[in-house]
Amino acid sequence: MGDSDRPQTGTGNTPWQRLPLVSILYFIISTTLQFVRQFIVAISVLAYSVSSTDIQGSTFFIPGLVVLVIVIICSGFMSFWFYHYRVHHRHVEIRSGVLKRRNINLPFWRIQNVKIERPFYYRLTQYAVLVLDTAGSAEEEAKIVAITIADAQGLRQQILSAGDNDQDDQDGDAPSEKSENETSPLLTETVINRREVKDLILHGLTNNRVWIILGALAPFYDDIGSAFYGWLDAMGLSLEVLFPSEQVAWWQLSLYVISLMLLALGIMASASVAGAVITYYNYTLSRTSDRYIRRSGLFSLQEVSMRQSRIQKISIKQDWLDYLLKRANLFFEQNKTGRQAEQELHSTSKLLVPSVTYPEAKILAMDGMPANQLYQIPFTRIHRRFISRYLFWFVLPISSLILALAYVELGVLAVLPALAMAVVLSGIVYVRWRRWGIAIDTQYCYVRKGLVGIDRYCFALHKVQQVVISQSLFMRRRDLANIRFILASGEVSVPFLPYQQALYLANRVLWEVESQRRSWM
Amino acid sequence: MSDEVFSNKTVSPQTLPDLAELAFAPISAAYGKVNLGIVVTITTVLLLIALGVRFQPFTVLPAPLFAVSYYGLMVIPIMGTLLAVYQWFADKQIKYALREQDLSLTQGLIFRRLVSQPILRIQHIELKRGPLDRLAGLAKLQVFSAGGAGHTFEIPGLPIAQAQKIRQFILAHKDIGAR
Repeated sequence: MGDSDRPQTGTGNTPWQRLPLVSILYFIISTTLQFVRQFIVAISVLAYSVSSTDIQGSTFFIPGLVVLVIVIICSGFMSFWFYHYRVHHRHVEIRSGVLKRRNINLPFWRIQNVKIERPFYYRLTQYAVLVLDTAGSAEEEAKIVAITIADAQGLRQQILSAGDNDQDDQDGDAPSEKSENETSPLLTETVINRREVKDLILHGLTNNRVWIILGALAPFYDDIGSAFYGWLDAMGLSLEVLFPSEQVAWWQLSLYVISLMLLALGIMASASVAGAVITYYNYTLSRTSDRYIRRSGLFSLQEVSMRQSRIQKISIKQDWLDYLLKRANLFFEQNKTGRQAEQELHSTSKLLVPSVTYPEAKILAMDGMPANQLYQIPFTRIHRRFISRYLFWFVLPISSLILALAYVELGVLAVLPALAMAVVLSGIVYVRWRRWGIAIDTQYCYVRKGLVGIDRYCFALHKVQQVVISQSLFMRRRDLANIRFILASGEVSVPFLPYQQALYLANRVLWEVESQRRSWM
Repeated sequence: MSDEVFSNKTVSPQTLPDLAELAFAPISAAYGKVNLGIVVTITTVLLLIALGVRFQPFTVLPAPLFAVSYYGLMVIPIMGTLLAVYQWFADKQIKYALREQDLSLTQGLIFRRLVSQPILRIQHIELKRGPLDRLAGLAKLQVFSAGGAGHTFEIPGLPIAQAQKIRQFILAHKDIGAR
């Protein structure tokens, strides 16, 4: 670590900056979390052995713990010491890392997303974490670990308006000399959607958000487990109490199983609601002239922004519970190439508006893709052979299997459960068929699918990356084909279309892409 | 929404360029031969191992292993033959077509696929040549667009000169590199 690593105030007019002292807190906490995540198994083994052997009594325990804490605190301080950043000639430059030095030089125009995050431990300060996302791989992500909110917002505005300039620059040679007052109206925000706690509770009920809680509780599983069994005991639900002897009536057993399941469901549902409220509390979706900005969070505040022109696909998804409650989850999806699967919460490639009502969904869809007819356009159903194929390849084998299995126990009566299963599965296939549909207009392609709830997708024809038509031997004989549109945000496929129609769709989409030559970004 | 210009022109299906009229060209015949060679080699090696296990005079084998080698002797040649036949005919189905604005590839014996990749959306191109490809003078053309690794458009088994020509054609396209 020589002098070359020192910030050089000499070069350029912007000096390198050090972070405020709060950032040490950030480094300490993130190192701790990383440590816990890496050694979670070791820690739980240790926690277990604490109960069996007397590790706490060992002479090494306290000194070991103290050393660990000191090391973590020191590493936090070191990370702070070696972290410098500056904003310089429309570039963000960051130098960080103690052992592995990392230099990041990120031009404004390459920054695709600017996220302002406020972890809970920053909530009492005026600081935030600024996350800069590029279109490239996840490794290129840069973080300014502690920056005042005002500065963060200022920088975000600068970066976002640089993006606008960049677009203008493409046709003109006028370099980026846009004045402040010209860019500011671009950035005036209007809130176009809010989610109340009621909506979030619905969202928690209809979507499994348990993992938010589960993830946070991971280090304490053992304790929770034993506490839970203690509580069951107290409730009189313990196995030992219920089954003192081997003579247990079947109804007792089933009652036990049912009450346990209800209990589990209840706990899951409340955990899920809590998770939804924690992540999406005070949810707002705002819009500037060309961008959507999502803000939410009870403890840690999240801010994700997405450019409207980068939306590849709008998905409005529903499961059966959403369908009953007349709600849907709306996603604006953008390019996700080169990213690892991200958690929905932190994902910048998907912008979720949780549990919106139908009118809200319509408004948002119209906003994201103007003049789309997602809710009006008549969908063409897929071919009826979809049903017969799934009856043959899906319903028939499963029902026969059940028939065979039940025959051993029930004899001829085995027909009943097999028949029941066949009826249920056929119903599912039929409903599935009824939901599938595709439609196209001059600008967009629409796809509808689902079982009970209806999923709707809408994408601009000119943003398609690739088209695939596929058919099996049987489908070829019937002149049917599946079609798949590859978008930067993933694929959309529709099965069992008449071959001519699939061909027309493919021709049409290719023509639209190739003749318009419009950008997909 | 500065770049969204609303347009609502009518498009008649007859005037659209038609994928059904693509003039497909087969890939190199050597590709099928190389693949056939691979299948035959692997089958032979497996067969030799099974034979060796069964008839080696050195030790007495545990009973289950002995039984497995017996089934191996029956199953390996059958599977190998089936695979070779399938591979041979499937490879003959791989064909590609170029148009001014897009590349297409069709393949598949039981499940037939037609993939079309607009050149405008291509982000970068790679020519890949494994050791066997080099031996046979072949190359694999890979074309990447923003759709994820699972959707890489790929023409295998092109004669190297041909592959380079296609690559040049794509690179020379005026829309390449447009976002």
